[in-house]
Parts: sequence; C-alpha cells; structure tokens
Amino acid sequence: MKIKEGYVLREVADQYVVIPFGSESVSFNGMITLNESGALLWRALENGGDRETLADALVGEYDIDRESALADADEFIASLTKIGCIE
Amino acid sequence: MLLSIADLVVELEDSANLSSLTSEYALDIKIKPHIEIHSKDYRLDSYPALSECDAHYMESGWFFYRELLKFNGVYLHSSAVEYKGKAYLFSGPCGMGKSTHTGLWMDTFGDEVKLFNDDKPALRRLEDRWYAYGTPWSGKNHININMKVPLAGMCFLKQAPENKIRRLDAMEALQKILPQTLHRFRLEANTNLLLSNLDKLIREIPIFELENRPEPAAAQLSYETMRKAAEEAGL
Repeated sequence: MKIKEGYVLREVADQYVVIPFGSESVSFNGMITLNESGALLWRALENGGDRETLADALVGEYDIDRESALADADEFIASLTKIGCIE
Repeated sequence: MLLSIADLVVELEDSANLSSLTSEYALDIKIKPHIEIHSKDYRLDSYPALSECDAHYMESGWFFYRELLKFNGVYLHSSAVEYKGKAYLFSGPCGMGKSTHTGLWMDTFGDEVKLFNDDKPALRRLEDRWYAYGTPWSGKNHININMKVPLAGMCFLKQAPENKIRRLDAMEALQKILPQTLHRFRLEANTNLLLSNLDKLIREIPIFELENRPEPAAAQLSYETMRKAAEEAGL
C-alpha cells in the first residue's frame, strides 16, 4: 500500500500537518495532524510499503520492541484507511 | 488597468464593471506588474447563482489572493479594523458575527476605529513584520479602505451565552485559519507556499478564540486581551 498522490506533509509551527492538493483536496477537505512518529510512518508509506515496512521504520528510529511497533503500524494504517488517503 | 494593492502592482483586466470597484487602488504610472489577472482564466460557470459582475469580482479576487502567496502573503476571511495604529482581524465561518463584532468596536471605541476591509483583508510579511491591507475584495457591501496597517492580532468568533477569550495553540490556530483562506489548490507548489506563509503567521501573531454575546463588554474584552498580547509579542 501507498499514500495517494495529492498530499503535502509539512512542518508548521513545530508540528507536522498533511494537507491535500489537486483532486484530493476536493474529496478530502481538511487537514491531518501528525506527531513525530506519525510523520516518520507517513514518509515510510509515501514510497509504498506494508505493516512490516512501517514497523521497521519505528524500530530503526525508536527504542521499541517489534510487537508494539507492529501494533502501532496497524493502528496508523487503520486510521489512514478510514480517512481514505492510502491506496 | 494598473492597480496598487497590498504594496504590489497588479495588472487587472477591466471586465464587468471591475474598474468602478477598484478605482481607489488605481495607479497612474506605468510599471511592470508583480501580478497579472486575466478574465480568460475566470471559471465563471462555478458561480451559476451570481450575476456576471459578481462572478468577475469573485474570480479576480481568487486569482489575486492565489498570486499573493508568492509575495509572503495570505488573506483571511475576516472583518478587519484599525485602532490606534494597529490592525485587529475577526474571523470565523459565515454567520458568526464578524461584522457585528467590528461594529461593536466602532460603537464602543468611537470614530478612531476604522473598518478597512469587511471580508478579505490581505496579510503580508514584509521585512520587518506582518501588515494587513485593505483590498478591493471586501464582500457584498464593498466596505474597504486602501490602507496598510501593522498587524497586531487575529481572533476567531464563536457565539456563546457568556464572553470568554482564550489564546489558541498553533495547531488550533491552523485548523481555524485553513477554512477561512484559500487552501484547495491544483498545484502542490501553492499548497507549500500557503503552509510556509501560515507557519510564519502563526509563530508571530497572537491568535485567539472569543466566545461572545453581541454586547460592548465583548469588544472591551477582545481589545484589551489582544492589545496586551501584541505588546508582549513586541508587535
């Protein structure tokens, strides 16, 4: 799976936000706020990947065991799926 | 026709009576414009309910405010007043009482309060600080004055049974600002510009939410709170 085309991830006032552009801005009118690990996961999914890719990213960056990393990855994927910004 | 708006030279094609709405901003000299607006780009069929004149007015404004992003600027859907040399902007969705609140300022503080744009003031970060400007695009009543005022604060309005004001944190502020400015673009570059400009705006300008009743005490509360925060921020 992969983040759809049409989203910009930016740091605004020391936090991470995602805003749609192009046709995505018609279907998704609003913004997503992410914390630091959320931004890491977002970037990992921009080039495509699965829950394993995301867990790798988390384990590589934070002091976290693989089981918790997989749980966090699943939660992240579920929330983005709900919003509709991954394909 | 050549206009000077928000310290920018704007070449605006005269169409559907736009010249009469922009005469306060006319430039006599001929220089190279920063921004060119052509009526052939207008998406007039997006406004089936508007007169031709209103549709040209809306679209010329849309193009101006989109180009403004390239000059460290944004607009805020708000009612903007100048008082004691500083600009205070009151924003929020339609029907939240923006014009009512700036009307209260005029009733409460008198003739010194100038309403310089009742709908879409332009904001620009120049070298030294943020400024708010009157522009020809100011809503259906065309209430605007061609002036430039140092920006001191912004406030989002909410109707409530009692008057209460609080400072918004950065993410709350961004969430409130986005729906009240141009934020849906075809090109990623414009979305990036918007976010860079809003990043600076949110860091530098105190932003509040005012729960209020339409009464003079609400105007006193918003003025005192915003003035104090601006002073503390050195604005």
